[in-house]
Amino acid sequence: MDSKKAVHTYHRNLTIVLGLILLVFILIPTVVKSPYILNIFVLVFYMSTLSMAWNLLGGMTGQNSLGHAAYMGLGAYACCLLVVKTGANPWIAAVFGMVVVGLVAGIVFYPCFILRGPYFTLVSIAFGESIRQVIINSEFFGRASGVGLPFGSDSWLDFRFTSKVPYYYIGLLMMIGVYLVMKKIDRSKMGFALKTIREDEDAAAAIGINPTRYKIMAVVISAMVAGLVGFFYASYIRYIDPELMVQAKSTESVLPAVVGGAAYVEGPIVGGLIMIPLSEYLRANFSSILPGINMLMYAVVLLAVIRFRPTGILGWYMNSRTKNFIDQKVLKKPSLEVLEKVELMEYQKREV
Amino acid sequence: MSMFLQACVNGLLMGGFYSLMGMGQNIIFGVMKIVNFCHGEMLMVGMYLTFILYTYLGIDPYLAVPIVAVAMFCLGSVIQHTLITPSLGTKSFTNLLFLTVGLGLLLSNGALVLFGSEYRSIRTAYSQTYIQMGPVTMALPRLISFGVLIVVTIALFAFLKYTTIGKQIRAVSQNPVGAEVVGIDVKKMYILTYGLGVALAGTAGALLTQFYTIFPTAGASFGFRALIVVVVGGLGSIPGAFLAGIFLGLLETMSALFISPSYSDLIVFMTFIVILVVRQTVIARRK
Repeated sequence: MDSKKAVHTYHRNLTIVLGLILLVFILIPTVVKSPYILNIFVLVFYMSTLSMAWNLLGGMTGQNSLGHAAYMGLGAYACCLLVVKTGANPWIAAVFGMVVVGLVAGIVFYPCFILRGPYFTLVSIAFGESIRQVIINSEFFGRASGVGLPFGSDSWLDFRFTSKVPYYYIGLLMMIGVYLVMKKIDRSKMGFALKTIREDEDAAAAIGINPTRYKIMAVVISAMVAGLVGFFYASYIRYIDPELMVQAKSTESVLPAVVGGAAYVEGPIVGGLIMIPLSEYLRANFSSILPGINMLMYAVVLLAVIRFRPTGILGWYMNSRTKNFIDQKVLKKPSLEVLEKVELMEYQKREV
Repeated sequence: MSMFLQACVNGLLMGGFYSLMGMGQNIIFGVMKIVNFCHGEMLMVGMYLTFILYTYLGIDPYLAVPIVAVAMFCLGSVIQHTLITPSLGTKSFTNLLFLTVGLGLLLSNGALVLFGSEYRSIRTAYSQTYIQMGPVTMALPRLISFGVLIVVTIALFAFLKYTTIGKQIRAVSQNPVGAEVVGIDVKKMYILTYGLGVALAGTAGALLTQFYTIFPTAGASFGFRALIVVVVGGLGSIPGAFLAGIFLGLLETMSALFISPSYSDLIVFMTFIVILVVRQTVIARRK
């Protein structure tokens, strides 16, 4: 029973540490009053969420899409147009936007799954750019001038606030929600199927995984999350234009995942927390003297991570002495054998 | 009719650039199986190099072409040696992809930091000279550029076909392990290939300067079109890349003429998706 107790302590410690981190994030708006700082946090939340959406497709399934800004933009457009043209409630528009993006991505990519590796990336770029061109050329979408959401008094029903604090909490909620969904997928049969497809698609097909079915599921879920981010972005900025979908934005949405560690569900969050404040700091302080310095630094960090730490910052941490120290001293993590033994015992208890 | 002929000629002249870009991308993709997502940025670097040579040293853009090509070859070799070769070992396609994407970001934002976002251009004594040929008018620089493009294409074709180094590069592209077994230095070939590909992009940039504005993101549209050329023209085929580039240029001007200029990008992308999907489906069926 000693080993069971050790595992119990470990789980309790883990919960306490995670709870403390969450508490810090919940308390930040009560301490920090500067809208500028809060804005950076909101940016971190929605960019990390977008990056997690990419990570499901890129990191987990190995289908490197470079068109996620287009899904996000499409979601934002679907929401905004529904609200502006029919006066629908934004929360209903969010669901509508997600469904539209999911459907479009599913239908368009169905014939494209025959493509592998770089060809898939090329189609995702061409597809994203096509959506942008359609929007620029169509009167219905407001051409290049974009669409604005109506302004008005604060209201939860219309998801419209002058203060940044509600956006902060909803953004945080969105990020945690999407993270939990991604974690669930990661641990599920689907997650293992996707990872098998990433490693070897032919082998996956040979052992009875239907690659097309799983890839479609991954694309649709990923696009729907991107659409959700689009809804959040549109409600936060309250104005959208086709510039939202340019190629550079797609690249920007991938960077947190690659820097943080694309093999981990937590990677995009870690990458986002590091990269976005850095980028915003440089943008705010140096862009008047040296325009482009923030993206230059982004590129330098990206290249350095890929060159020297190919598994990302999280991959580096996972094998570092710091993690070992925290595991042993702070969390009191028992050895792997003990963990496995207890898991097996609980499993057997459930069987009986 | 004269409009049609004019559009044909314009498409042909523009298509030459897509061909040249596509050939560079083609040998890189063919040899290392990686997509060089900073190809367009390399063209932009070539443009800025020509601009510097012309403005500060007074070197004519066409005389600058060999200088730019050599400089870009060195740049490409250094990048390959320090960044890409070490990452090839990790076998992670995601990392290789974002390595070149990151390089593209580095170059375009580096240009933004160094030169600012102003649009620049080179105007020589002959850049406004036009030649009338029946119903068609052509700017002299475009014509010279096209002539240089043809020469470079033939030279590249001959280089890959007949020289020992060219044969080694083709051997590596067909089977790197086999090439290593028969004593070819694969890493050296990678460096040569990437340098050559980048030099071709830089050459295209140098040739473009007289009738195209120079700005930090000038290469983006060319970069993607180079990828289209590779996919449509077929891997490892220099004549295929040449024809695909010309086809792409004609498709652009024709769709601008017959449908609407604002839809020409959309038509190019859609055609690309359709060709790619149909082609891969046919290949998969044949297996």
